[in-house]
Amino acid sequence: MSERTATKEPVKDKAMDQAGGLESGWKERSIGPIGALILAVIFVVTVELLVLNEILNDIIVPRPTDVFSALITTLSEGFFYRHLWVTTLEVLIGFVVGTVLGFAMGALLGISRRARAISYPYVVAFQGLPKVVLAPVFITIFGFGIESKIVMAIAISFFPVLINTMAGLTGVDPQARRLMRSLNASDWHIFTKLSLPSSLPLIFAGIKTGLTLALVGAIVGEFVGADSGLGYLLDVYSYQLEIPRVWAITTILAAMGVILFLFIEWVDRKVVFWQSRRELSTGM
Amino acid sequence: MTEPRPRTDVLPATGASIIETRGLSKVYRSSSGAIEALADISIEVRPGEMVAFLGPSGCGKSTLLEILAGLIPPTSGEVTIDGQAPRPRAEVGLMFQQALLFPWRTVLANVLLPAELQEKTDRDWKARAHELIAMVGLEGWAEKYHWELSGGMQQRVALARVLLLDPEILLLDEPFGALDEMTRESLDLEMMRIASNAGKTVVLVTHNVYEAALMCDRIFVFTPRPGRIAGVVEIDEAQPRSLAFSTTTEFGERVAQVRGLLSGDSDE
Repeated sequence: MSERTATKEPVKDKAMDQAGGLESGWKERSIGPIGALILAVIFVVTVELLVLNEILNDIIVPRPTDVFSALITTLSEGFFYRHLWVTTLEVLIGFVVGTVLGFAMGALLGISRRARAISYPYVVAFQGLPKVVLAPVFITIFGFGIESKIVMAIAISFFPVLINTMAGLTGVDPQARRLMRSLNASDWHIFTKLSLPSSLPLIFAGIKTGLTLALVGAIVGEFVGADSGLGYLLDVYSYQLEIPRVWAITTILAAMGVILFLFIEWVDRKVVFWQSRRELSTGM
Repeated sequence: MTEPRPRTDVLPATGASIIETRGLSKVYRSSSGAIEALADISIEVRPGEMVAFLGPSGCGKSTLLEILAGLIPPTSGEVTIDGQAPRPRAEVGLMFQQALLFPWRTVLANVLLPAELQEKTDRDWKARAHELIAMVGLEGWAEKYHWELSGGMQQRVALARVLLLDPEILLLDEPFGALDEMTRESLDLEMMRIASNAGKTVVLVTHNVYEAALMCDRIFVFTPRPGRIAGVVEIDEAQPRSLAFSTTTEFGERVAQVRGLLSGDSDE
């Protein structure tokens, strides 16, 4: 945010207004994070007090302080990192392969009207299918190891990328296409210099969804049948009624999701730099 | 002083026309049947001439421009540009109502696009692009993006872009139609100055009678669908013109003549 306002020297009236608006909006924008933090503190303290006074049973809802110490214990145990590594690997491989596959198929469907017509029923059927039901199938095919979870993460994360790539490529401004044709552009140039860049905002929106879903896919796969991974660990602690541990792992998974999302958002901002600027200039 | 000229769709053949159509028609086929967009269009445009295609919305004037640009084929009839069948090429530049700047490209990169697409490396295109950017009054804006530019400035960039390959013929589809009246007028005059200094042939599609009369040597007035040539109005005033021309009697008479043709009163 701050680099956006700082890097460019102010240019003429319109841009100047924006810069001024952003500066005066600093207080406005810090209300969000500070408010969220206050809300979290209130929530944690309330739960702590409710459990301490035995209004809530600590088997159902653990004390936040217990969760915190469980978190510290978990993070200090060596075997935890083995499970963390397994899940991270499943998510990252699943996400990367899923995104590449989704982009390739989406590009094919976006370019070829015929391919789109042929695959349409399958796309609709697959879109309607809750992908998690595939987990048992993949486990019977690929076993209890890491492979079945990677396949699950691929299956669940590639679809939003496919759909958004297709939508982006078919939604290119016809006037811009006409401009390219009037400039005698080859089909390849129209794809690389117009269709692809103008689809990037949508493609990245799909990739962001795909990344979040890759985590869901890996964890669901681990729930259904695994011998390692954070989902497996969660399952084990839950059976052992180690509720603070369950919450600690959940917190770690949430943090993992946030880190992945922030990373991809950062990449998005760098690659599709004009999108945020456009929103900025229209006052969004 | 000047008598209203006899209606001539086709000028006496001088053999020197750069754009020529004979009996051209265009029919669109759709699920609801055939739509006749253009019927029996026969025109000739001389090199260096500035003409307007003027008519109500849906009269097919933009369709004709697209045919001249080689983007769509006519259904029947003949059309030649420089003696050849129309096709997209460097000698013909097309400009649209929208600037159509690519938001991921700087002003300079947008202007350079045509050379990049032709994979032309025969000259210093960057230097030429900078020249053109200065010529359209955007010196110092080369590294900016379109969101930093006003609508008028964006069209100036589009103008620089269409001029990059130095086309002989400029096909302009309501190029400043989306801008406010004052910006449009000044950009019109500036563009005509640039075009007439460079001896370019200009075809301007517009529904604005004043714009056509101010800028063009001849106005082809179109009938509503299917578009036919209702008449041609010639305007005797040297190029480049100034806004002062729009206050002359000649200007008023020609505007009245065009309006007569538009309302179907062909005796005017």
